[in-house]
Amino acid sequence: MPTTEIRLQRYRPEQDNAPHWQDFRVEYDDSTSVLDALEQIKAEQDSSVSYRWSCRMAICGSCGVMVDGVPKLGCKTFLRDYPKGLTLAPLSHFPIEKDLIVDMSRFLAHLSAIKPYLIAEAAPKGKPYRQTPAQLARYKQFSNCINCGLCYSACPQFGLKPDFLGPAAIALAHRYNLDSRDQGKSERMAQLNSDNGVWGCTFVGYCSTVCPKGVDPAAAVNQGKIASTLDGVIQWFKPGKETSK
Amino acid sequence: MRINKQPPPQTTPRRSDEPIWWSLFSAGGVCVAMLVPAIALLVLLGIPLGLVSAEQLSYQRLHALVFHPLGLGVVLAVIVLPLFHAMHRIHHGLHDLQLAHGRLAKWLCYGSAVLLSSLALSLWLTSG
Repeated sequence: MPTTEIRLQRYRPEQDNAPHWQDFRVEYDDSTSVLDALEQIKAEQDSSVSYRWSCRMAICGSCGVMVDGVPKLGCKTFLRDYPKGLTLAPLSHFPIEKDLIVDMSRFLAHLSAIKPYLIAEAAPKGKPYRQTPAQLARYKQFSNCINCGLCYSACPQFGLKPDFLGPAAIALAHRYNLDSRDQGKSERMAQLNSDNGVWGCTFVGYCSTVCPKGVDPAAAVNQGKIASTLDGVIQWFKPGKETSK
Repeated sequence: MRINKQPPPQTTPRRSDEPIWWSLFSAGGVCVAMLVPAIALLVLLGIPLGLVSAEQLSYQRLHALVFHPLGLGVVLAVIVLPLFHAMHRIHHGLHDLQLAHGRLAKWLCYGSAVLLSSLALSLWLTSG
C-alpha cells in the first residue's frame, strides 16, 4: 500500500504556547479520505490527536478542516488527490479548542440570530402546506446547507470583522424568506439590514467555491442586498413603522 | 489567536446606510459596463478602421450632445454614476486590504464622489 506524508497542526492549549506542526506517514488507497487518515493516525500513531467527526458521508458537517489551506470536509477529501502529501490545520477564523477542533459558537450565535426555521401559522386542520414546484425552486438550492462552517473559514470579511453574520447564516435567512410558507421575514430583516448583515459582504465569492454541498451563499447574500434595499425603500415610505424587533 | 469573547449579535441592529451607496454603485456599474466597451469599440476600432468618421466625435458634436437639455443623462451616465461606482470599490478595497476603514475613509471616498459630481453638474448648468 502506498504511503504519504501528513503535516498536522497540533495545539493543546494547556501544554503548548503556540500551534506547531507534527508529521505523520499514513497508508492510503483510492478510497482513503482525510478523515480515514486521521483515524489511522489516532488509532496507530498518536492517540492524543483530536478532531471532530460523525457521519463520514458529508451530511453532518462536523469534520471541516483546512487541507493545504483550503477549507474542506475531511470525509469528502481523498488522499489520492494529494500524491505529494498534505497539511491539515483547524478551520480558519475560529478560535482553536484543541488540534483540529475549533469553537464554532460565534457561527452558531449568528445562525440563531436570523431565526433559521419556518415562522408560520399551523397548517389548517392537520393538512399539509401545499407548495408548487415553482415555489419550491425559489429556495431549494439554499436549503442544502449542513452548517459545516467551511464558508466562514473562506470568508475574508468574517476574518476581518467577526461580527459579520456570514455566508451560511445569511443564506439560510434568505432561504426562509423565500419560502412561500414562511411569514417571518420581518423578524429577520433587521439583522440582514445592518452593517453586519448582507452589507458586510464585498462579494468575494469564495464561500460558494468551498461549499461542499453546492449551495451558493454568495448569490444568497447578494440577492439579500436587493431585498434589503427594497425593504429600506418601503420603510422610507412608511415612517414610524420600522420592522426591527 | 482571537480571544473567545462572543457577545451575541445585537437584537435590534441599526439599519445600514449602505443601500444608498450600493444602489449608486450598481447603477454606475451598469453604465460603465455598457459604455466603456462601446466607447472602446468606437475609438480603438471604429475610427482606425474607417468604419466611423473621426468627425462624428469632433469637439463641436460632443459639446452639443453634452450640453443639450437631455445631455444631463450623459453627465449622469458617464461621470456621476461611474464616480460613485469607482469610489465605492475603492472604499471597500481599502477595507479588504486593511489599509483604512471607518468614518474618515468613507467620508473621503463618497465625499470626493459628491464633490466631483457637483462640479460636473454645476459646469453643465453654467457652461451650456
